[in-house]
Amino acid sequence: MLYIKCPHCGLRSQNEFAYGGDASVKRPELNKEISDQEWDEFVYLRKSPRGKHLELWHHVSGCRQWIKVLRDTSTHEIFNTYKSEEKVG
Amino acid sequence: MKSISPLNGVHLVGDHGNFKNKNSDEIINIKELKNFKIFQIVKFKKNKKNINDYKLSGLDFPDKLRVSQNNDVRILWIGPNNWLALSAKISLSEEIAKNLSNDEFAITDLSHSKAIIELSGKNAKEVLKKGCPINFNDINKNEVVNSIFNGIAVTIDFINDQPNKIRVMCLRSFGESLYHSVTDASLEFGYKAI
Repeated sequence: MLYIKCPHCGLRSQNEFAYGGDASVKRPELNKEISDQEWDEFVYLRKSPRGKHLELWHHVSGCRQWIKVLRDTSTHEIFNTYKSEEKVG
Repeated sequence: MKSISPLNGVHLVGDHGNFKNKNSDEIINIKELKNFKIFQIVKFKKNKKNINDYKLSGLDFPDKLRVSQNNDVRILWIGPNNWLALSAKISLSEEIAKNLSNDEFAITDLSHSKAIIELSGKNAKEVLKKGCPINFNDINKNEVVNSIFNGIAVTIDFINDQPNKIRVMCLRSFGESLYHSVTDASLEFGYKAI
């Protein structure tokens, strides 16, 4: 069981959250011409690092906000959490 | 047309569970709250005014995890720029129309979409601890949390702590399941359905 500190609600059980994937993936700019491969990479391809990973989590049974979580994928240690609009690093 | 309350089919008035030889303050009182006007109020991102500039029925919009209340209305914080206003006494729609503009807030009438169970008694928190991961020892009167109870998303409103009086709200369609979970957890203390 993980405990995740929601920046809006405080420390909560993982049960209240839904995992939302890699938070470092950036959508291609609007109206920019991109290749099929770039689009394919944005939609489907993800890294699966061992160690620190910036993730999106949805506090779906709480404040219903998306947040960013910096977590170690091997130890599950959570280093920090951020509001969705916060810049990290 | 007659409205049917969400727990109409399951809320059986009377004493249940392990209630014998217990004082009335030891057992849990369980009540279904009906005919509440409930409005969700969301401040638009484009609305740059401070929320403290607005009032509803004379009440400020509360800060996170807090509740503003008077004799008629309770306003619950349920997320950033997101509140739930409840009243069984006054016409909330008129009050909202007077105080809040549709250009600045998204307002949704949820009056018939919520099931509300009110628990009271000194063991009310013990019942909720069985199905909810919140640390109830840290929560006091006029605070609110959104969480889960046995997997059902709930809003828990702490009306009073001397003695405990707590409202648990969920979507109407989950109401019967929530009621079964809550009453099941109450059996060991004994409960009176009012």
